[in-house]
Amino acid sequence: MIQLFHVSKYYDRRLALSDITLEVEKGEFILLMGPSGAGKSTLLKLLIGAERPEEGQIFMQGRSLAKLRPSEIPLLRRKVGVVLQDFRLLPKKTVFDNVSLPLLVQGAANGEIRRKVTEALRAVGLDHKKDLFPPGLSTGEQQRICIARAIVNGPIVLLADEPTGNLDPELTSEIIELFKSINARGTTVIVATHDPNVLAQVNRRVITLDQGKLVSHEQVSA
Amino acid sequence: MRRLLYLLREALANVLTNRTTTVVAVATTAFTFACVGVFLLLYVNLRAMASSLEQDIQVMVYLQDDVTGHVRNEIEQQLQADRAVAALTFVSKEQALADFQAQFPAESHLLQGLGQNPLPASFVVTLAAASRSSDAMRRWADRAQSIPGVGQVQYNQAWVEALASLVKYIELAAIIVGVILSAASVTIIANTIRLALYSRREEIEILGMIGASTTFIRVPYLLEGAALGLLGSALSLVILKAGFELFRHEIRSTSRFLGVEALLTFFPLEMCIVLVLVGLFLGFSGSFLSLLRFGEGRA
Repeated sequence: MIQLFHVSKYYDRRLALSDITLEVEKGEFILLMGPSGAGKSTLLKLLIGAERPEEGQIFMQGRSLAKLRPSEIPLLRRKVGVVLQDFRLLPKKTVFDNVSLPLLVQGAANGEIRRKVTEALRAVGLDHKKDLFPPGLSTGEQQRICIARAIVNGPIVLLADEPTGNLDPELTSEIIELFKSINARGTTVIVATHDPNVLAQVNRRVITLDQGKLVSHEQVSA
Repeated sequence: MRRLLYLLREALANVLTNRTTTVVAVATTAFTFACVGVFLLLYVNLRAMASSLEQDIQVMVYLQDDVTGHVRNEIEQQLQADRAVAALTFVSKEQALADFQAQFPAESHLLQGLGQNPLPASFVVTLAAASRSSDAMRRWADRAQSIPGVGQVQYNQAWVEALASLVKYIELAAIIVGVILSAASVTIIANTIRLALYSRREEIEILGMIGASTTFIRVPYLLEGAALGLLGSALSLVILKAGFELFRHEIRSTSRFLGVEALLTFFPLEMCIVLVLVGLFLGFSGSFLSLLRFGEGRA
């Protein structure tokens, strides 16, 4: 479903990713491991079209991202759910409004928005907090709202960049379980992390990056 | 529907979030537009005054003393056939003398001393609207002068031409000041929108990340800019109207300008609507410029 062929990316001549080739199948759960600065975030940015590679090709569902017109990038992002370490929730909007944003930008009808937002909030166990504002929630709850927003429009792939970076081990387990359940429903999940707690809980394919290079590619058992 | 409500709500939220900046932008825009408006108002009034005076200006076509009745009829027919002539009145020598005596009774004895009536017969010509400009009037007078039997053609040329050139200067000044101050308004609104974009950059990033189109992201800011321009221009009309009424009141209370206040007019409703729409367009343009510079939606 996702293919990268000899992808390289530079920032002001500094190498961020070097000659990355990998393939992700539909329904896979992938852990993207590596220390800070390894290139994990850059790889995720390439997958949502926020950055373009200097070399190589990226395909998503057979479509080359290099050939996307600027007006097609929003359409790509509607198929990809994104979860970030700093949540990126809008503090002055309710939980419901935050989660409904991806549907709103697509022009979904009111009924569809209500139904899908309720489903997404139920999936993360926070449907009873839909009228609250993010600053009134715990960090774990804010991350779960962020996950609800990422899955609300049924993306084909969920990208998470250090999703447990701000969470304690207990909350980390909760979030990882949530990703597992989303993956179990058929959504491809790619989690970029340097947190060994995550690695210990996931029995999935692990791709390790270091200084922009793909250094290992293995199946790990928890 | 929910999407439209969202966009409108966001535009309103932008305005409320940056309340002080918004108020300053609207006030500055209003005063800027009011400055342009003063020139426009001056132009509109002088033009109205000029066209009212042009309507009153009549051309006197004096006949030579020795013209026969036949020649006079030919001149009359020629003038009547002229499309530039709207109205024509014949004033005989006797009528001219009677008019003079009626207007200047104290000086009538001067003419009696001459023995015979020295005043010429004439045609009083009112020109058609299309021929009332100073150039057209001069051309017509030259042409009338060449008609056989016509002695002299007179009209208040200097006054008409001075008024026409004054109106032209005011028009030019209004255009120059208008362009400069409109550019200033666009810049003020552009800066306000830039501040709004800066204060909400995180939200813009989030919208981009979840697949919002560039249009979806831009619309609230374009609406905000348009609203600022609209409010600014509407407020400038209120300021102008207040200033105009104050001026008219002052004029009315000064006996020297008796009757002038009746000639003063404010912008007609259609022009007020056009001015408000111009404000809306300038605000929209300011927003658009800021969005181009901000370059959201690229990442």
